Amino acid sequence: MKEVLIIVLGSFLINSISAQELFVVTDPASNVPANSLSVRLSNSLFKEVYEDGYNYHLMPEITWGISGKLMVRASAFISDRSNSLYAEGGSIFAKYRFLSVDDLQSHFRMAAFGRYSINRADIHQEQIEIMGHNTGYEAGIVATQLIKKVAISSTLSFEKALNNKPDYEFPNIQSSTATNYTLSVGKLMYPKKYTNFKQTNINLMLEMVGQTLNENGKTYIDVVPSVQFIIHSQARIDVGYRQELYSNMLRTAPNGIYLNFEYTFFNVFK
Amino acid sequence: MNLKIFLFTLTLILALSNAEAQISKAEIVATGLTCSMCSNAINKQLKSLTEVDSVIIDLNTNTFVVHLKKETNIDPGILKEKVEKAGFFIGSMIVTMSFENVEVADNIKIEKDGLSLVFVDTKTKVLNGEAKAKIMDKGFVTKKEFKKLSKSLSKYPTYTSDNDGAYHVKVM
Repeated sequence: MKEVLIIVLGSFLINSISAQELFVVTDPASNVPANSLSVRLSNSLFKEVYEDGYNYHLMPEITWGISGKLMVRASAFISDRSNSLYAEGGSIFAKYRFLSVDDLQSHFRMAAFGRYSINRADIHQEQIEIMGHNTGYEAGIVATQLIKKVAISSTLSFEKALNNKPDYEFPNIQSSTATNYTLSVGKLMYPKKYTNFKQTNINLMLEMVGQTLNENGKTYIDVVPSVQFIIHSQARIDVGYRQELYSNMLRTAPNGIYLNFEYTFFNVFK
Repeated sequence: MNLKIFLFTLTLILALSNAEAQISKAEIVATGLTCSMCSNAINKQLKSLTEVDSVIIDLNTNTFVVHLKKETNIDPGILKEKVEKAGFFIGSMIVTMSFENVEVADNIKIEKDGLSLVFVDTKTKVLNGEAKAKIMDKGFVTKKEFKKLSKSLSKYPTYTSDNDGAYHVKVM
């Protein structure tokens, strides 16, 4: 694992001229195009720490570009935590790009986002994750800088967990609020020179994802290296690996793999 | 005899419709992107316009050469709107227009097929046939360039950030 990290990090440092900002575990400040619909199927398989086996999450998502500045997304959470595949909840998300300083082959953009999720699964860890585990809401800002083929993006957000209705109350002894912070770097590796839309693009990404629980200061920091294939300038496949670097909070399955498929339908709405 | 009248009428119609064909081509350089999926988003937006015949793209420079159908008129603002809907901006737009013995000079305003054009940094000359003109207004150049232009073009009273529908163009 360490070798992989060094190679991924090294390739960013040596050749930091070129990238992409379609990150695997975070969102950039840019949105999907207006009038487009993007459909994503996210799969994750995480290793259970306190019991044998793996925890599989399936997350179908649909994203709609309302305008060039505003997009909304609906997600559903399905998991096999209760043995068979079970629909645990869903989420709505909106992102508004409020700043854009664009130049030839570069941009700096900022956006604000909000998310509300419901979940009916049991609450089994201190980590707050409204994407598939907790009922709750999140609000934050994201800033993204693109310079030629390298994109750097950072997110700061506030997250609040509520009761997982109808059966599971959020435990009083745990912190129900958290501060999340991320730093993502993406780089376009291939092609070096474009010839047409059908060329497969390959992006390498490295994301750092952290959370601090506001009431007790407990923290985790993860790293997510990933490779992404863009096919026919319209479809996308992500393969990523998430590894905990540091944590002093209870997490039941911090390490695992991501496999996402996404397809964009342009100009669905006129 | 009938054929002659027919041919004459046809020629006249063609000549007239040709005069209507204001902009035949727009060369757009888009800013803020380096990925082919982003270029494709712009490509799809531009192609969704009924006036657009074809779009030829250089992915490495993000240049979109938009060929417009004959006998259609398009406002450059519509092309700009489409690029912005894809989530990007215009770095430069050069339009190819047809003129028929139109005398242009610095700070001259002409009205043609619903478009108001104010010529800037332009020497007095007669335009006949196709000519290329760069649009200098806000939103049609990069933000940096607009900052510079708002100083260098301040002698043109109509050149303001909120222009009243008139395009300020420089003949190339």
